[in-house]
Amino acid sequence: MGNFDLLMHGFGVAITPMHLLLMVVGVLLGLVVGVLPGLGAPNGVSLLIPLTFTLDPTSAIILLSSMYWGALFGGSTTSILFNIPGEPSSVATTFDGYPMARSGQSTRALTLAFMSAGIGALLGVIVITLLAGWASNFALRFGAPEYFAVYFLAFAAFIGMGSASPVKTVVALATGLLLASVGMDNVTGEVRLTFGFSDLLGGISFLVVVIGLFGIGELLATVQEGLSFRGVSSRIDLRDVLRTIAELPRYWATSVRSGLVGIWMGITPGGPTAASFMSYGIARQASRKGQAFGTGRPEGIIAPETADHSAGTCAMLPMLALGVPSSATAAVMMGGLMIWGLTPGPMLFATKPDFVWGLIASMYVSNVIGVILVLLTVPMFAALLRIPFSIIGPMIVAICFVGGYTVSNASFDLWLVLLFGVVGYLFTRLDYPLAPLVLAMVLGHKAENAFHQSMILSDGSLSVFFSNTLVSSIMALGLALLILPKLLHLGGRLRRRQPVE
Amino acid sequence: MTVRRFHAEIGTAIGTGAIGAAAVIGATELGYGWEESGPQSGYFPFYVGLILIAASLWNLVAAFVKHRRPALDDAGIEAPFLDGERLARLGGFLAAMLAFVVATLTLGIYVGATGYIAWNTWRKGGYRVPVALAIGLGFAAALYIIFEVIFLMPLPKGPIEPLLGIY
Amino acid sequence: MNHLKTGAIAALALAAALPASAEWAPERPQEFVVASGAGGGTDNFARTIQAILTRDKLVDAPIVVLNKGAGSGAEAFLYAKQNAADPNKVIFGTNNVYLLPHIAKLAYKAEDLQPVAALAVDEFVVWVKADAPYQTVLDLVEAAKAEPGKIPFGGSQSKDTDETLVALIEQTTGADFKYVPFNGGGEVGVQLAGGHVAANVNNPNENLGQWQAGAVRPLCVFSPTRMAESAPIHDGKGWQDIPTCKEQGLAIDSYQMPRTVWLPAGVPEEAVAFYRDALKKVAESQDWKDYLAKTSQTGAYLTGEELSKFIADSETRTVEVFKAEGWSKE
Repeated sequence: MGNFDLLMHGFGVAITPMHLLLMVVGVLLGLVVGVLPGLGAPNGVSLLIPLTFTLDPTSAIILLSSMYWGALFGGSTTSILFNIPGEPSSVATTFDGYPMARSGQSTRALTLAFMSAGIGALLGVIVITLLAGWASNFALRFGAPEYFAVYFLAFAAFIGMGSASPVKTVVALATGLLLASVGMDNVTGEVRLTFGFSDLLGGISFLVVVIGLFGIGELLATVQEGLSFRGVSSRIDLRDVLRTIAELPRYWATSVRSGLVGIWMGITPGGPTAASFMSYGIARQASRKGQAFGTGRPEGIIAPETADHSAGTCAMLPMLALGVPSSATAAVMMGGLMIWGLTPGPMLFATKPDFVWGLIASMYVSNVIGVILVLLTVPMFAALLRIPFSIIGPMIVAICFVGGYTVSNASFDLWLVLLFGVVGYLFTRLDYPLAPLVLAMVLGHKAENAFHQSMILSDGSLSVFFSNTLVSSIMALGLALLILPKLLHLGGRLRRRQPVE
Repeated sequence: MTVRRFHAEIGTAIGTGAIGAAAVIGATELGYGWEESGPQSGYFPFYVGLILIAASLWNLVAAFVKHRRPALDDAGIEAPFLDGERLARLGGFLAAMLAFVVATLTLGIYVGATGYIAWNTWRKGGYRVPVALAIGLGFAAALYIIFEVIFLMPLPKGPIEPLLGIY
Repeated sequence: MNHLKTGAIAALALAAALPASAEWAPERPQEFVVASGAGGGTDNFARTIQAILTRDKLVDAPIVVLNKGAGSGAEAFLYAKQNAADPNKVIFGTNNVYLLPHIAKLAYKAEDLQPVAALAVDEFVVWVKADAPYQTVLDLVEAAKAEPGKIPFGGSQSKDTDETLVALIEQTTGADFKYVPFNGGGEVGVQLAGGHVAANVNNPNENLGQWQAGAVRPLCVFSPTRMAESAPIHDGKGWQDIPTCKEQGLAIDSYQMPRTVWLPAGVPEEAVAFYRDALKKVAESQDWKDYLAKTSQTGAYLTGEELSKFIADSETRTVEVFKAEGWSKE
């Protein structure tokens, strides 16, 4: 088995004292960057690029990728503790992670998140190891209609069932779509909905909206209840960590399913953020107690975290083999590759086996290092909740605003954070769901672009979305996910009603 | 003073409707038709805007209907959304936040954050002024070290930093 | 505060009064403002220069890189306008600085920025799928004439350099392609390798990986002369083996994208001179030559008169294309 030998060779490259040190440094830097909203993995990684000029490419990519894994871990921490997603891909983790932490189980929530993240990453690397060649050929088959179908599928999986009022869901969804369409449209080259404000030229940043909606919005809700975190009495005990790890095998089905969703979205152009939403949506639909999601269910943490990380790792594959980055961080790393004189492409695997397999092997090692390091930080982070609210509350506010500012160094974004904080508060109190708004912001414009490109290619014929087996089956799956739960729900109601009549 | 859920529902519905209207107006400037090569750039914003207006109207009407027939009301439309005490708390918190943003834009984030955190720990936390100031300054220093020194990300500065030799 | 302000004004007046005698050197941290997102071509350009300037101690002050890529880079140029006369903000772009205001209503003009230097030009190559029937660029043009509006031509973004070039080919030959905009060069490269579009005009390093793998094939390069010698890339051919489009009979002399460095308008002449000299040292360094070779760009250090002439030429020619396509906002 060729790939196995290559992987063993890769371990030989990756496991040297120098590389292990780089992994630890990378993961730790990534944790810091991930915990602070707005600083984010893309910023952090691009900052290290000039420093890597003196390293050889393999060491450099090990450092950068370790930082990325660290940032993914760190992003979940603030999602769970403060309802502030440190990274875009950890938004879905807030849905159940934050309620669980609020009920006094922050250690359990963090441990679940980190362990699932580690499992997701491992599943992702295993797929890369086994299927590297096949997967990159598969990704080549994706043209604009297939892109659209993938986005549609992600939408369908998430929107298919929700407990909120349908009209309010539509409001949230439409608002998200409109927010996403502000700014320059790449396909038509038009500047849209800026109303002449230069500040809106770059569009409304997803991360700024999320920091406002979730971070500030939640603080406002906390304050109106009377200035304290609900459930401060979190007991911090390493035994809690172990106990949580022991309960993980019970959720093996969720883990495997979420891993597969993540792998699919990582190889196709969906990306980690969409993967975590889609996986969360599917977990909710698959669960028998569907309504209880959002109240701190373990599956609600495991699903998005596993998918996020398996997608994040699998996204390295299209980056290396095709030169298509499927996340902002991958784009920066790819820029690094070019500066180091490596060309991403199908031949990279053949011409630079040391580099490629060294990186893949390092992904196994650095994710294990990442899980260990991050679990050690759990008691420290959980202790943050013991700081009196009158101190930590304003600090979170300040960090939210700093985060909003650093996303694109724009003062205008400070106003947006404030505005969306109020919107988040109102929406939550009035039972408008926030998740469809956020998902629409992530995927709305991409889906519109792919749709538009498909229309140009097909001269305006919608039949292009059913023009070959690949795109037809993805579309059919999406439609099924959209309609089937409704039918099953309806069927269930009818059956229950009959005995009564 | 008490804000009822009815008022909040109406205010939010009007707000989302206004976003929809703005999108429709913006889209008509761009062209919202369907050309030979697919939709024009205003096509999606236009129709999504219309949908948003329609859904907002629905929410508005629903709120009024429930308001008129409170007996059938299961969502507690007449329930207080914010009573006087909570409104005051929320208003105070928002006002401080607003002051923080304005201070950040005029005096820079370090001054803004020091003042904001010191004020909150002093007034809300009941700490003595020197302690509160120390916490605020410590936080600002941590921000400076993490963002500007370690990660080389410039944060907004005001007129005071240059006097200290910080650009 | 007041002392400081008067002091600064006095210093400015002094600087204006004593041309070129006072040496200027950056004392505060320098902001390198990049008109593209992290990881883009312009970003790599800026970060490579940053690394060389820092390592060779050409600039003593710390350098901070800021990405302001929104609106095809307009965000960075608006930032330059807002910070007029501030010599501590250096802006990195392409030809978008002077072309964007022609196609979009924006709140800045090209005059709001002061050109410092161009350090390289990126070439444009016509690529087709390896198994496509086209052997020269004229084969492709003939195919488009036979089936007007049916041959999909991929490119990066709308009304940007790629679409301008395709429009220029159309205007020169009378062919009619179906231009499909994607988000970036890498994506367009994959769309071509996957056979979803028939051709693209990617920069060399955007398609290098797919060429190495033999998935795509270059037809010609829009350069006055052939590109620099390189090691064989695929099938024994290197960059120097790609004919120029002119050789193949397509009457477009050259179409290149400059990598340019700017300062906000109104900065003292000494600051411009400082960066001009520092960038010249960068352009002469071995690291810079390595960067050019690795990214398959052509070195071209232009400044002063030469640069102004290059910009004026490039602007006039491109605006003609814009006008013919009806994209011009004037």
